[in-house]
Amino acid sequence: MTKSIHTTRGRRSFLTGAAAATLSPLIITNRVIAQTRTIYVNTWGGSWTAAEEAAFFKPFTDQTGIRVKTVAPVSYAKLKAQVQSGSYEWDITAITQADLLRADREGLLDPIDWSVVKKDKLFPNAVYANGLAYCALGTNLVYRKDKFPQGGPKTWADFWDVKKFPGNRSMLNNPVRSLQFALVADGVPPDKVFPMDVDRAFRKLDQIKPHIKVWWTQGNQSQQLMRDGEVDMMVMWNARASELAQQGHPVELIWHGATITTTMWGVAKNAPNRKLAWEFLQFAVQAKPQADFASRLFYGPTNPEAFKYVSPEVARQLPTYAENAKVAIKPDTVWEAENTARIQERFTQWLAA
Amino acid sequence: MAPVVQAKGATPPSDSPGPTLAAPRGTRVASQIPWLLLGPSTTVLVLLFVVPIAYVLVLSVTDPRLGFAHYQRIFTVPLYTHVLVNTFFTSLVVTAACLVLGYPVAYVMARRGGWVGTVLLTIVAMSFWTGFLVRTYAWLVILGSKGPVASAYQGLGLGKAPQLLFTTFSSTLGMTHILLPYMILALYAVMKKIDANHLKAAASLGARPVAAFREVFLPLSLPGVVNGSLLVFVSCLGFFVTPVLLGTPRDMMISQLINQQIEELLAWGFASAVAVVLLAATGLVVAVYNRFAGLERLWG
Repeated sequence: MTKSIHTTRGRRSFLTGAAAATLSPLIITNRVIAQTRTIYVNTWGGSWTAAEEAAFFKPFTDQTGIRVKTVAPVSYAKLKAQVQSGSYEWDITAITQADLLRADREGLLDPIDWSVVKKDKLFPNAVYANGLAYCALGTNLVYRKDKFPQGGPKTWADFWDVKKFPGNRSMLNNPVRSLQFALVADGVPPDKVFPMDVDRAFRKLDQIKPHIKVWWTQGNQSQQLMRDGEVDMMVMWNARASELAQQGHPVELIWHGATITTTMWGVAKNAPNRKLAWEFLQFAVQAKPQADFASRLFYGPTNPEAFKYVSPEVARQLPTYAENAKVAIKPDTVWEAENTARIQERFTQWLAA
Repeated sequence: MAPVVQAKGATPPSDSPGPTLAAPRGTRVASQIPWLLLGPSTTVLVLLFVVPIAYVLVLSVTDPRLGFAHYQRIFTVPLYTHVLVNTFFTSLVVTAACLVLGYPVAYVMARRGGWVGTVLLTIVAMSFWTGFLVRTYAWLVILGSKGPVASAYQGLGLGKAPQLLFTTFSSTLGMTHILLPYMILALYAVMKKIDANHLKAAASLGARPVAAFREVFLPLSLPGVVNGSLLVFVSCLGFFVTPVLLGTPRDMMISQLINQQIEELLAWGFASAVAVVLLAATGLVVAVYNRFAGLERLWG
């Protein structure tokens, strides 16, 4: 007994309709995107994008009428793929300074359009390798106050001291960060970490490796580990830790020896909406939008004027706050850009051993 | 897609699609029709599979320079061979575990009709449709130091639970749990079609239930076993989020390495080479499997 759709007419027209429906999105081409005055921004999604919407996109659209659409998540590999293939999903991206340098060296970025971006409206150090400074992210030592009633670790050397501060530990699965912390724990002052003595750092890491319960890779994972009490102290991004503290969890952040990574805005080379993109970036680097973003997400503004608009309690938790930046590790973007690849392989091998 | 039980060499049933257009006998068009019908699907296969794989192959020997440097690196740096071996071994273990755990469940689902079968099917289907990331995070909660397993340990007076999370055990458990519905559904699809009368006939010929199962049911369910095992094995090879979240760095799977090379290091030539090695190794495993078990069982 076979079952079939009774009218051949009905099946054919259904199939035609279905085919048309699946193929119709392909009708939207690059030209259509450019004509409706919309820019596409590559972003991280979740609370990051929500903060961007409130601090940058909505005020910008209200001011200029240019619509902003987002594409998540951030992918440096997509930047290369887009520029190579000539088919663009987004115009603007926010990537770390080291990645920006690599992108610029490989010719993946659109040079700054000085006809749109006004030099006198930019703060000092805003420009780097065809990108504009966005915000600063800290990677810190974070611990649970309730597990250390007599006082918790204050430096990376304390993190390495398993006798004085016993407990479960976790570190970020990232070679450059881990090596930096190891060097500071071994006694190197935070402003003299670069150029890194990689062998010394790996020797120091060998000491702590048996005590690391988990090497985390995702932000949500790090928050869950701390919130559920799976670990007592760990490496964590400052905004994630501040968010937990805001929710009432007993977490404490240490700024000594933290790394501060600057995120930069960049425009993909030959992106279809690049002129509008630079207009947006001119807006985004101003003090007020940056301050608004920082107040929502705890990532430090790079525009010093922005601190005028940030409340003192929030300011103290930001990576670019003067007191915090003073004791943090001084970055060396060029060294990072040139050495990450070879360290990555050695680190992965070390981890898997 | 019911594999019909038939003797080897029998022709397919007469209501299957075939060239039934009334073209004059002997015209070249009539004999070309099977190829024309195959045209669209072949084009799709070529465009979506053959072309990208060929591109990856070419990329692995041309980016950044022409040569086999990437392949050399894979086989000399111990990291990559270690990870590849670990990936295959873990996939085998997960496939075996899924088979052992899934077969009884599928058997009960298929043989017991009525509400028991339906309830089991619903449970398996709901697990199947729940995203695998959600299920991975669920294991983080269950096996965590504040989770139900740890509490059960303390409740039973066994003291503090041993480290369950972030071990090879937890990552294998997570992967088995996530892939189990695939195995169960593949087995169920085949077992459901097995005629209960065959087993009754075996009983009437004097076979005890165990013998009837071994001689009649088991061979008839082999297409499902092959189907399910292949599905689970190949899916497991591509897994990387669950071992990262639940396991140790030593359990790293090859896909995580490929992802690292593509996303973070932009070493696309090298990533392609690793992918090609993975593809070749998988092909080898399937070829060995075919030699001993025969893939034609997939079709009954």
